[in-house]
Amino acid sequence: MPDMESAAAAPVRIAGVDERVLAEREERVSSHRRDVLFDVENLRVSYAGVPALKDVSLEIYKNFITAFIGPSGCGKSTFIRCFNRMNDLIPTAAVEGTIRYHGADLYGPEVDPVEVRKRIGMVFQKPNPFPKSIYDNVAFGPRVLGWKKNLDERVERALRQAALWDEVKKRLKASAYSLSGGQQQRLCIARCLAVEPDVLLMDEPASALDPISTTAIEDLMHELKRDYTIVIVTHNMQQAARVADMTAFFSVDVDEEHDRRTGILVEYDTTPTIFTQPSDKRCEDYVTGRFG
Amino acid sequence: MRVTFQEELDQLEATLQEEGELVLRALRGSLNALAQQDVELADEVIAFDDEVDDHYLGIEEGIQSLLARQTPVAVDLRLVLAVLHVNLHLERMADYCVTIAKLTKLVHDSPADETLMEAFEEMGGRAEQMIRVALDSFAERDLESAETLPELDELIDRANRRVVGHVLSLGSDQEKLEWGLRMIVVSRCLERIGDHAVDIGEQTAYFVTGEFREFTDASH
Repeated sequence: MPDMESAAAAPVRIAGVDERVLAEREERVSSHRRDVLFDVENLRVSYAGVPALKDVSLEIYKNFITAFIGPSGCGKSTFIRCFNRMNDLIPTAAVEGTIRYHGADLYGPEVDPVEVRKRIGMVFQKPNPFPKSIYDNVAFGPRVLGWKKNLDERVERALRQAALWDEVKKRLKASAYSLSGGQQQRLCIARCLAVEPDVLLMDEPASALDPISTTAIEDLMHELKRDYTIVIVTHNMQQAARVADMTAFFSVDVDEEHDRRTGILVEYDTTPTIFTQPSDKRCEDYVTGRFG
Repeated sequence: MRVTFQEELDQLEATLQEEGELVLRALRGSLNALAQQDVELADEVIAFDDEVDDHYLGIEEGIQSLLARQTPVAVDLRLVLAVLHVNLHLERMADYCVTIAKLTKLVHDSPADETLMEAFEEMGGRAEQMIRVALDSFAERDLESAETLPELDELIDRANRRVVGHVLSLGSDQEKLEWGLRMIVVSRCLERIGDHAVDIGEQTAYFVTGEFREFTDASH
């Protein structure tokens, strides 16, 4: 038996875990790199001169799933549309401030919005397949881009990535409309993936789906984040809690005098923090169902 | 506003506080039974534990149902998790009261020892005070008050050490040794009740701050 004095002097070791191992683990966790993909600074969006969203600054990290939550009218859909310049399509929309993508100004004069939308794909609330076959839906993007080589492989890869291949491989020529809602949504995801994007933007991708299809989409998101960066707008807070690494809570700033309601970013943090210990009272009231 | 949900949370907390009151009654009963060597009262304390257990199970079931249906988050999640732990600590305290009552029955025909009885009354009184502080600080979300619990606990720990010293000084007579060992267990029960009160204080701190931490490290 070692005497107590020398035992007390020895470093504490439990089941082979010593301080060096703990230090390494600590370093690994803290150095889990957050590579900034989008850097948003003082973003302000207005429609016909009326501000819809103001003063938004945040960073979106590569290979993370980032969720935007908040009550109706808080500007979260407006915001997600800024990431692939969808607001360009609305004549009265004006975007001020900066969004840097891989360090480059997304709204710079030399940037081609079509190229942006190829690299930053979008999936909408309601599945919107083209009135074409399953195959042609997925092949559409590559064909437009003139990628004619190995089209079958490309279509298969995209359908596999979207976890739809096994369900449709025997009926690729069937109409996309013959698929269920959940399958149609995964087809739309496959259609995005076929052009090899960098980012997937999802605007309430599961809100029109049943629980089983919703689970399929959520599982798919977990799979896809290995290769893609995903940004999702959702009304379903539990969905944000289940899938997102980071969560941004938006709210509405009401200006009674001018009768204006403008979206603002209230809190942005890791999802566990937002759902266990949010620091802003408005965020806490929203996630606990006391407001909104 | 989720009215039903809030009502359920309020109900959980109310039941928890009731359970705490029952534990205080059990503790007072066990201390009186010990001091007066009252076997009947000791039996009452033992039977009374069922009431504490009913509250304990009611809270467990309430939390299970609430987690399944309401998916609490943020402040609500912290409250539910804290109640879950506090519930267990209270139930364990009541079990220690039962142990004291059972030991009382075993030693009721032995002559009373003034020094020990005084020490137990002191420890018991401090344990009661700690339970009250623990319950009140949880109800009031009073972090400062919860943080006073380790200091109070230190006083019980000291008394516990005195009891052990006293028992050891009684000599090696077999009968006295057996009695003495049982008294050490009584002392240990009171000391553990103090520890559980500190643990409840830690749950208050978690609920208020969102951080898990021990008030004192294990070397104390």
